[in-house]
Amino acid sequence: MLLEVRDLRVEFRTREGVAHAVNGVTYQVDAGETLAVLGESGSGKSVTAQAVMGILDMPPGRITGGEILFRGQDLLKLKEDERRRIRGAEMAMIFQDALSALNPVLTVGDQLAEMFVVHRGTSRKDARARAVELMDRVRIPAAAQRVRDYPHQFSGGMRQRIMIAMALALEPALVIADEPTTALDVTVQAQVMDLLAELRREYRMGLVLITHDLGVVADVADRIAVMYAGRIVESAPVHDLYKAPAHPYTRGLLDSIPRLDLKGRELYAIKGLPPSLTRIPPGCAFHPRCPMARDVCRTDPPPLYEVDQRRGSACHFWRECLDG
Amino acid sequence: MPEQPPHDSEGAVAGTGMGGAMDLAASEATTLERAPGGPEGPGGPEGPGGREDAEGAGPAAGRPRSLWSDAWRDLRRNPVFLVSALVILFLVVIAAWPSLIASGNPLTCDLARAQDGPAPGHPFGFDGQGCDVYTRTVYGARASVTVGVCATLGVALLGSVLGGLAGFFGGTWDGFLSRITDIFFAIPVVLGGLVLLSVVTSNTVWPVVGFIVLLGWPQISRIARGSVITAKQHDYVQAARALGASNSRILLRHIAPNAVAPVIVVATIALGTYIALEATLSYLGVGLKPPSVSWGIDISAASPYIRNAPHALLWPAGALAITVLAFIMLGDAVRDALDPKLR
Repeated sequence: MLLEVRDLRVEFRTREGVAHAVNGVTYQVDAGETLAVLGESGSGKSVTAQAVMGILDMPPGRITGGEILFRGQDLLKLKEDERRRIRGAEMAMIFQDALSALNPVLTVGDQLAEMFVVHRGTSRKDARARAVELMDRVRIPAAAQRVRDYPHQFSGGMRQRIMIAMALALEPALVIADEPTTALDVTVQAQVMDLLAELRREYRMGLVLITHDLGVVADVADRIAVMYAGRIVESAPVHDLYKAPAHPYTRGLLDSIPRLDLKGRELYAIKGLPPSLTRIPPGCAFHPRCPMARDVCRTDPPPLYEVDQRRGSACHFWRECLDG
Repeated sequence: MPEQPPHDSEGAVAGTGMGGAMDLAASEATTLERAPGGPEGPGGPEGPGGREDAEGAGPAAGRPRSLWSDAWRDLRRNPVFLVSALVILFLVVIAAWPSLIASGNPLTCDLARAQDGPAPGHPFGFDGQGCDVYTRTVYGARASVTVGVCATLGVALLGSVLGGLAGFFGGTWDGFLSRITDIFFAIPVVLGGLVLLSVVTSNTVWPVVGFIVLLGWPQISRIARGSVITAKQHDYVQAARALGASNSRILLRHIAPNAVAPVIVVATIALGTYIALEATLSYLGVGLKPPSVSWGIDISAASPYIRNAPHALLWPAGALAITVLAFIMLGDAVRDALDPKLR
């Protein structure tokens, strides 16, 4: 197993009290596998990713429990210096908005070259040549000329390609992409996703794709983990989940995708709002919004029931949900 | 698209009608030649030809192009920078060797000619003590420029290092430093100068420079701290961390260039006020004392007689204004050059 997150808990101390951002997240990613982490804003998907990368702002953030095993080694037990050497070289992250994730005062070539200089001690000159190669690999036209341009001189899609090139520079085993296409328009989204999927195959790396876009997930992911209020509520191979969701929240998400055959009708929306992380409802966090909620949901938090060998659902009534 | 059909038919005529098989073969040959991506390389980087082309151009494009070299190239073409740099260069030269352009002695005065206007050999006239204003203005550059430049450098270095580290690391150290800056902010400059400098007997610029640095660094430190905190929150800092950059690399390479602009602006403006502060302190008798020559001393000495002999005030004051303006323009040009988006 490449990456195994076990019962991870993260909280933030804020003025309004303690915000429980991640409450026992467990997921695994194998080499060459794509796991999509799906969830609304504030469901804890990005915080989990930051904790895995070790770039969580602490304080105010605090990891209160759990393990993050990367190739069997618990990252949370490593010294900062050791983690830094893993970051970038063995696991890397792609950010949502490449314009703000690239340093505006350095040329893209410099920033790409930095990866080799920092981790491999490559000479500046060689690193520059590698930078051109990388830009070529992510299909930036006229890479040799553009390597000397600044980030703001690129279009959004090109910038995201550069971000991808940076993350893949040292051929890491694991890449976490935090909503890599959210800031792009739809046609460019498809190109960038295709590129990412292709490079993932080529390097056989594990990919954690954080997104709230169900359309993106269906094409590229092998498995999906759906998050709600800092927990995984359902985890399943992508086709199983689309065919028959085993959690009412997942069902709600799938029903709220606009469909051409239902054109003209009112779009389904999950009623209510996601809970405030400082006041997560007792029992099942989803019960105030759940159409299937019963008394037990208000008191007993559901464990992650095993639906089948590759599937889990944190719903007391997953059987009913599965049957529709 | 009405133009489309003619183009198509042209191709069809060339291929089949006129030249027949030969033409067809020729046109096929050219497309085949093109296909591997040879001459059209840059258009299709995924082809092997494209890759080769890119590497071929690599060394030419591999010329180091850093923030600083780009800024320098930009500055050399900026008239504002050129003018201000020339003025500053001139000031530095006459501060070092005032006798180059003034042959007289600034301390040779003739009371009989006090407050006289311009005369041959004395283009700026005479001050209240009958000293030559031109000579004194030229000689005054040394003290004023030294105080201005050294105090600004000291303040900028001390303030941005302390403020930058406090902003970057935060926590206790930050709180401690912020309280210290508060204490220094509470010290009134003139009163502090009177107290601290009155015990100093040395009649050089260094106690004044030291005093200005001591009271001036909190201002820059606050600005540096604020702009480092702003820069630290940018995604690219987190991205750099996520890709394995160390603290020192993040601070020096990613935060510093993005946080330096406000420090440069404030420091260059402060430079003018430091020269004026030296004048104030000299006026109060705790800065430089009369055998020394400085614009501040001359301005304060001439100010009571502004109605009788305005020239004695205006020349040193004009020199001060030009110096301050030159440094502000320089700071402005440097700040613009460090922002790639303005190129």
